[in-house]
Amino acid sequence: MIGSVAAGLLGLLTLSIPVGIVLFLLGFGVDTFFSSFPLTRGLGNMVWSASNSATLIAIPFFVLLGEILVRSGVATRTYAALDRWVSWLPGGLVHANIATATMFSATSGSSVATAATVATVAMPQAEKLGYDPRLFSGAIAAGGTLGIMIPPSINLIVYGFLTQSSIPQLFLAGLLPGLGLALAFMVITVLLCMLRPSLGGVRRTFPLAQMMRALVDLVPILLLFGLIVGSIYKGWATPTEAASVGVAGALLIAFFFGGVSFGMLGQSVLGTVKITSMIMLIVIGASFLNFTLASAGLGRELTDFMNGLGLTPLGTIMVVVVLYIVLGFFIETLSLMVVTIPIIVPLVVAQGYDPIWFGILMIVLIEMALITPPVGLNLYVVQGARKSGTLSEVMVGTIPYVVAMLVMVFALIAFPSIALFLPQALQ
Amino acid sequence: ETLSVVGSWSSLPLHQQYEAPFWSETLPAASDGKLTVELTTHNQMGLGLGDIYPLLGQGVYDVAMTVADYAVADAPELEGLDVPLLALTADEARAMVDAARPMVADIYRDRFNAQVLAIAPYPPQVVFCNHEIAGLDDLQGLKVRASGRMTAKLLEALGAEGVNVSFSEVPGALQNGVVDCAVTGAGSGYSAGWWEVSTHLMPLPLGGWDSVVTAMNLDKWNGLDAATRELIAAEVKTSFEDPAWASAQTALVDDISCLTGNGDCPAGESRSMVLVEASDADFAKAREILTTEVLPDWAERAGGDWAQRWNASVGQVVGVEIK
Amino acid sequence: MEQKVINALRRINRAVALIVGIMLFACAGIVLLDIILRRLGSSLGGTDEISGYVMAIATSWGMAFTLLELGHVRIDLLRARAGAFVRSLFDVFSMVVLSAVIVMIAVKAWPVVERSLSNGSRANTPLETPLVWVQTPWFAGWVWFSVVSCVMTLVALSLTLKGRHGEVETAVGAFAEQDMLQ
Ligand code: NA
Ligand code: NA
Repeated sequence: MIGSVAAGLLGLLTLSIPVGIVLFLLGFGVDTFFSSFPLTRGLGNMVWSASNSATLIAIPFFVLLGEILVRSGVATRTYAALDRWVSWLPGGLVHANIATATMFSATSGSSVATAATVATVAMPQAEKLGYDPRLFSGAIAAGGTLGIMIPPSINLIVYGFLTQSSIPQLFLAGLLPGLGLALAFMVITVLLCMLRPSLGGVRRTFPLAQMMRALVDLVPILLLFGLIVGSIYKGWATPTEAASVGVAGALLIAFFFGGVSFGMLGQSVLGTVKITSMIMLIVIGASFLNFTLASAGLGRELTDFMNGLGLTPLGTIMVVVVLYIVLGFFIETLSLMVVTIPIIVPLVVAQGYDPIWFGILMIVLIEMALITPPVGLNLYVVQGARKSGTLSEVMVGTIPYVVAMLVMVFALIAFPSIALFLPQALQ
Repeated sequence: ETLSVVGSWSSLPLHQQYEAPFWSETLPAASDGKLTVELTTHNQMGLGLGDIYPLLGQGVYDVAMTVADYAVADAPELEGLDVPLLALTADEARAMVDAARPMVADIYRDRFNAQVLAIAPYPPQVVFCNHEIAGLDDLQGLKVRASGRMTAKLLEALGAEGVNVSFSEVPGALQNGVVDCAVTGAGSGYSAGWWEVSTHLMPLPLGGWDSVVTAMNLDKWNGLDAATRELIAAEVKTSFEDPAWASAQTALVDDISCLTGNGDCPAGESRSMVLVEASDADFAKAREILTTEVLPDWAERAGGDWAQRWNASVGQVVGVEIK
Repeated sequence: MEQKVINALRRINRAVALIVGIMLFACAGIVLLDIILRRLGSSLGGTDEISGYVMAIATSWGMAFTLLELGHVRIDLLRARAGAFVRSLFDVFSMVVLSAVIVMIAVKAWPVVERSLSNGSRANTPLETPLVWVQTPWFAGWVWFSVVSCVMTLVALSLTLKGRHGEVETAVGAFAEQDMLQ
């Protein structure tokens, strides 16, 4: 069954049918060929309960927040300020892309929203300064994935919701690995650009006075981060509610540092509705597919498969890692989580692993899935913001960062405290 | 004959200890292999909680089991199955459930096109507080996390404020004072570490017993031959329902000892929460509120002759009458 | 003719999307108000329930706007390598399949509303929201999406038959104008 679904997915996707619609078609297919029950009768109920979700409303809120920052000019100034500080490194502005993505990750719960925000402000610089388009856009696509690792994070909210684990603890656990990944991205960029200086474009240094003045432009984002994360840890807002605090904060910041107008608000709202519906068609399609797969016995198949291997705990984790890398090529990330978490997490926890730690490990793998072809939302978002060039350039550009993510996967397995240190220390 | 069965929460003891063994081993064996079962759970399927029985009625699967309270949006009369504070021990709860069974059977037949096979208990839903309380009366003015409409109404009538917080957020909410108290099963509270963030435990079923109803699609049921129907009905009673009830009281006593340290804790380390016993006066007051406000309110919601039927069955057993 | 239909649908859906966006803004405001009120020792109650309904309704009504802005993600590997005529065929085929699926969803969404209607269902919450109130606008959104996608399918088919492949591309192609993809 799993093989047929994967083959069907690939075939239908290459026909350029929208990804969300393909997931529904596969659900109908599973119903017809692998189940003796009239599962499609449940379609309406699945669509209702998949979208009637107080958790998922965080998605439009985070997208709206990013839209407001971009359209008020706050995002551009943040980017320029980080440029002053990091562009002396081999790789130049590529580091500004990563640093900006890291900063916006701290205010956005969504990787797609983060990548879209950074791509919009960074892309105009690439050609001007003669950077290699592959590395430049790859860094944005990869840096954007940090949006779901550095708190806040919609995907961690979904993980906490599905596994009944504490979302604030998950957020704490994601902080160090998120910063570690950002650092790893920058290190790998430096190494690449030292080996092949042509990749890196212009390195620029700025006088100290300019650098110090630029710090002022970082204040809005830091304030916003403090506001969102502070409201969660002060116990004022649940992680989902904090997204609405973020929207209000972004509006205030836009008001003081940029400018608010009806036209700009209208554009922000339209962009938000567009991206939200795009994500939700995929999320709803994925939950319907999951429903048919579960009814047709995917849980048993996976459980039997894992039990049949008779693995040690470490072996189990390795198989799970490979499974997520492979599935991550083809399956949209929120769907991937919804489909696999109820099956995989109990198996992993039964082997004695900490569910908080596994949540963070899974997020690294999910980040990878966001930038691996053929189904990688961040690739499409970044390509969408470019004025020229092909999608394959973005794909090639992300390869070094996929390597960095793999390193992080093994680091997390070898040293679980990278994730667990903060939640345990602050308990 | 293959049955497609949807179990309740896969992570909770009722599923792991009773549902899963019964449907995947006991019943197929008892039928000499004539019945085979494909078992999954509603959370693995990603079903909305309110959709579980409606989809059963449409024949999307053959058998489903979950907390009856999830279905009251479609059937307000079903709230009468699990009224808080009326049953304090497992025996009382079972007597109440047995009395309600004919009503439940009618509700499932008419609303969900389903045949009720069994009604089993989740643990009673007791009160954890991170606030000093000496009895029910002290809940006045406190923020309490509870689920279910009737519990919310009762809390309101007691002068407390109902707050909606998802299960996984409760520890943080208790710690930060977003809520002062929260209601859940004693065992769930023990294993989820609620004792770390709360001080007082009041083992009164303020959230009822959360009865789990097992039901089969009515067309499927009618399509089975009489012998198979008898076999299923008998097996589900002796090998699923009876054992689940038999362990309920011991489990409650054990869980309370685990949380308070008064007695043995087979599950692990004992904790030291303060055990709060409600006084008789407290209790009388709560029952008074229940009979004068909460239940009449329900009778109106349910409509029809449900209040009379309830008085004549459950009401008789627990000594309460809706006026 | 075709362009008139497309432009009219775009205008209507922009208005719909603006209303949806205002609804989302209002929802954020309500959640924020509840957070503030809680600090002051009071509460609106039920904001998460309301957020869920807003999400369901916003999602169903935003779908058609996203379709017309070419926002629903498609994998463009084979299609991008084809000529103008074959690309149009890809697009029409994709629209036919999409329309069929969306009509199916709209049809299967009706029993959900009908059930709440016949049972007089109310949410199992202190708000006791009559589910018909929120499921009807949700259902209507999917009906609207199916109407828009069927009309767009016909438009794309007609443009293809007339050989106007450039217009097919901008109407139902794979990528939006750059400035919309934020
Ligand atoms: Na984030
Ligand atoms: Na991928």
